[in-house]
Amino acid sequence: MITTIILVLMALLALLCLLWLAKGRTLSTNVLQNPTEHMRAVDVEAFRNLVDPEEEEFLRTHLSPPEFRRIQRERLRAAVDYVSCAAQNAAILLRVADAGRRSSDPATAEAAEKLVDNAIRLRLYASLAIPRLYLGMILPGAHISPVRIAESYEQMTRLVVLLGCLQYPTRGISAAL
Amino acid sequence: MTLSVLSYYLWICPHLLLGAILFAMVRSGLRRQFPMFFLYTAFEILQFVVLFSISRTPIHFGEGYVRTYSVGLGISTVIRFGVIYELFRHFFRQYPALNGPGRRLFRGATIALLLVAAGVAVLAPSKSPNFLLNATYATDRAVSVLQCGLLILLFSLSRYFALAWRSHAFGIALGLGIFASVELAASSVWLHLAAFGNRAVNLFTMATYHLCVLIWMFYLLRPERATSYVLTPVPEHNLEMWNSELQRLVHR
Repeated sequence: MITTIILVLMALLALLCLLWLAKGRTLSTNVLQNPTEHMRAVDVEAFRNLVDPEEEEFLRTHLSPPEFRRIQRERLRAAVDYVSCAAQNAAILLRVADAGRRSSDPATAEAAEKLVDNAIRLRLYASLAIPRLYLGMILPGAHISPVRIAESYEQMTRLVVLLGCLQYPTRGISAAL
Repeated sequence: MTLSVLSYYLWICPHLLLGAILFAMVRSGLRRQFPMFFLYTAFEILQFVVLFSISRTPIHFGEGYVRTYSVGLGISTVIRFGVIYELFRHFFRQYPALNGPGRRLFRGATIALLLVAAGVAVLAPSKSPNFLLNATYATDRAVSVLQCGLLILLFSLSRYFALAWRSHAFGIALGLGIFASVELAASSVWLHLAAFGNRAVNLFTMATYHLCVLIWMFYLLRPERATSYVLTPVPEHNLEMWNSELQRLVHR
């Protein structure tokens, strides 16, 4: 009897969950028509600094352990905020670009396709990065990122050039993300 | 008398509406976009015709009817899985970036839900001595657990990634999800009662199915809404740079 009641409650919960998820399936039209107002500026350089292992190592060697743990927690909390904001912006851009995929202009459609792809990847990475950052907050003293960032200047330059190729004249959204 | 009329209405009407959906799907070409759902609709109508015919014969709702119902439920369940997979594939086609992780998630969730369904089967066995009845409802309950879980996963994925549902796919998934969750509750109650059906539960399940058919009708028969917010050109962004940073963070 108890198992049956539990199963019926589970079914009810599943139904409510489905309806809740279905209700919030789309961003409101207002968000899509005025995306700039709903996007928040996120500085990628600042984020890079927050998760830089060299910076972390510097703080570790120059601060007392309790002080380092406190500072590191705050840095990672800020990093979580940055990633969350970027992911939120990506969600808005994804929906905007989704509409752009149907554009009659092939260049716009292609750029929109690429933007959709990038936005999905960003949200995917965000879903993996945020738990890592929280783990870092729980264990601020532990080396959860032992391998150093191996990013060359050439790679950075290539990314910037690639980004430049994707850039189009905008209606004010450019500064937001 | 009134209850009998209501039962017959709830039994016959949804299948007539399914006929209208089938016809509309052929006319609008949706049959090619959602072949599994088309097959499901056609099979549901066929099953109804067969079961209704049997109920009119001297067999009435006897053993022969139960056997046919069980076989039909089994086939219908397999096709419903096909429909769910079709909905996932619909998303993966629309968003190729989700193809790899999405498929892995689908496989992982299916395995996890199978284990949950097996656990439920072990923890709550039926008391009925009738093997056919037990097998039918136990399978139905296990499958409902799986289908509910997969549809919740599908809706969660689309919500997390802020994906745009085509309204047809959304309608199919919503109807199927509501039906699967009510079917889970109903099959649990049936197994507990250890009897073929229960008037109140039957009526509730049939009414839910009717509602689901109306949902399918609403979403499949109305034209796909045109987007009113097409922005040209696509705004500039630095998602690639963010992706690069997060990728490095995740892969450290």
